Amino acid sequence: MKNKIVKWIDHRFPLTSFVKHELTGYPTPRNLSYWWNFGFLAGFVLVLQVATGIFLAMHYKADIALSFDSIQHIMRDVNYGWLLRFMHSTGASAFFLVIYIHMARTLYYGSYRAPRELMWWTGQGLLLMLMATAFMGYLLPWGQMSFWGATVITNLFRATPYFGDQIVVWLRGDYTVGDATLTRFFALHYLFPFLIIGGVVVHLVALHTVRSSNPSGIDLADKDNIPFHPYFTSKDFYGLGIFLIVYCIFVFFFPNLLIEPANNIPANPMQTPTHIVPEWYFLPFYAVLRAVPNLVGGVVAMGLSVMVFAFMPYLDRSRIPGGARYRPWYRAMFFLFAVDMLVLGYVGYVPPSNQTIVVGQAATFLYFALFALLPFASKKEEQWLIKRGLPPEVKALMAGEAREISKFPHRRRSGDKP
Amino acid sequence: MKKYITLLALCCSAIPVWAVEAPLENIRVDTGTAAVKRGADTLMDVCHGCHTLKYIRYSDLASLGIDKKKIDDWRGVQSLDAPLTGQMSDDAAMQTFGKLPPDLSLMAKAREGGANYVYSYLIGYYNAAEGMTGNHIFPETKMPDVLGISGAADEAQRTEIQGKAREVVSFLYWAADPHEEERHRLGYCVIAYLFVLTTLLYFVKARIWSRLK
Repeated sequence: MKNKIVKWIDHRFPLTSFVKHELTGYPTPRNLSYWWNFGFLAGFVLVLQVATGIFLAMHYKADIALSFDSIQHIMRDVNYGWLLRFMHSTGASAFFLVIYIHMARTLYYGSYRAPRELMWWTGQGLLLMLMATAFMGYLLPWGQMSFWGATVITNLFRATPYFGDQIVVWLRGDYTVGDATLTRFFALHYLFPFLIIGGVVVHLVALHTVRSSNPSGIDLADKDNIPFHPYFTSKDFYGLGIFLIVYCIFVFFFPNLLIEPANNIPANPMQTPTHIVPEWYFLPFYAVLRAVPNLVGGVVAMGLSVMVFAFMPYLDRSRIPGGARYRPWYRAMFFLFAVDMLVLGYVGYVPPSNQTIVVGQAATFLYFALFALLPFASKKEEQWLIKRGLPPEVKALMAGEAREISKFPHRRRSGDKP
Repeated sequence: MKKYITLLALCCSAIPVWAVEAPLENIRVDTGTAAVKRGADTLMDVCHGCHTLKYIRYSDLASLGIDKKKIDDWRGVQSLDAPLTGQMSDDAAMQTFGKLPPDLSLMAKAREGGANYVYSYLIGYYNAAEGMTGNHIFPETKMPDVLGISGAADEAQRTEIQGKAREVVSFLYWAADPHEEERHRLGYCVIAYLFVLTTLLYFVKARIWSRLK
């Protein structure tokens, strides 16, 4: 029963067919676990950040003489300004938490493998934009940690060959972080989320081309797919409820836990805080930066530690489906990597001492060693698993996958010869 | 990730070990209006001579329920909407202390340890050599021992001064985040609502998925 307006639109725009194709009828693997909820949650947090951010921008003043005061104005005088501000500041952490879980799921189940490389790479681009947005947003309250964090990080661009000093001045708009830096960071902090939305659209178009991966690690036969709506809309909304409970506990009861005390002191270029730390979501990469004694080396290592994920489709050469599920070596490497991230996060947090520097260097070495070993380990593991005899369920999965590949030759597996 | 959060929580609790010179006293901040009001009395009496509270207005004190006459005494000729600026000029402060006394509006949130830091600092004074006082928590402080804990004659007087310090901390805690009580009240409602909603969403999901098989 279509009403007249929908009919009128359908003559001019593929509304009904789009909704049917991409939402109500979109075939989704029925075996997705709750780990597949986090992409939807990331989209939700993005909308939440944009919505609260727009209202905060109505009351915020990007001027070094006024910005700290304007945050206090929002916190004290604006109706529910404290709620907007705490939702936004907690939302940043929530965004990273959700994205890191989303990435961990991709790594665990091998969802980055062919034909989903472009999904993984657009995701990597989105991660970079998210990091840039969070970093620039952190300057806006103009507290001590805002100022010194921005000073330390923009300073890293000094490592650029030949033009280092000029690039730092160009980024800051001044010789030091100042009013020019604040106004441009504000402008870009407002712009980037819309670029991210554009990137998310590309990410989703790619997703709807290759379809969701699933815990089995192979593309399921049609009978194992179910329509996105109502099955996954209901599942995503239930997951959203759980997420919102956790998020609201932080927003209403522990909002200051994620704000450094030093950021409640207005920026003072004459007084360096005893200990400059980034937000928790940058700590592991910050630890990699500090683990290398040389500035250029540190910056390169840090950049590589973020970008190295992009190489995963080539580093992982195993053809065993299901990611870490059926691959004991890869599973061990995954958990070792997760623990290594925690260690790096801790090392990034504490002030450097003789012990933590050594621990940080060892953890950094392990970080890159795991990626470097993966091409050999994954191939050896595959041979070992096949020699030992695969469990019948995995054999069935691989046979099913082979049938699919003969039908759709472009569905190449990672590790297959082109 | 759960591990990460736990680890982060552990890191946060580990801060005081290296951030300050001496271990902090742990106090439970009394957020009751009575304590906050008594803290305001002490603060206006003892601290406001040198320190500003520029994000707090006299009208905010009135909405706390502090006696109107008392507020009129404090503000003198200033308007009720004026912020609690200091009574000491910057020049005079520079001459006396060599630095400007910090604004106190956010003090309860601006140090590692928060309210515990402020309390420990206020009662952290001791008698050093040559009639000077020192401070265990912040040795470089230029502030004199305004509450007089270092000169306390006996345990009773000490307890009284500690009580005063607690009340000042109660006031500063309120001043740093005046909407906290409102936030908690709203938080309970929101989370209760979300629990009901999520439970219902779970049953919706279970019902829809039961069609399969």
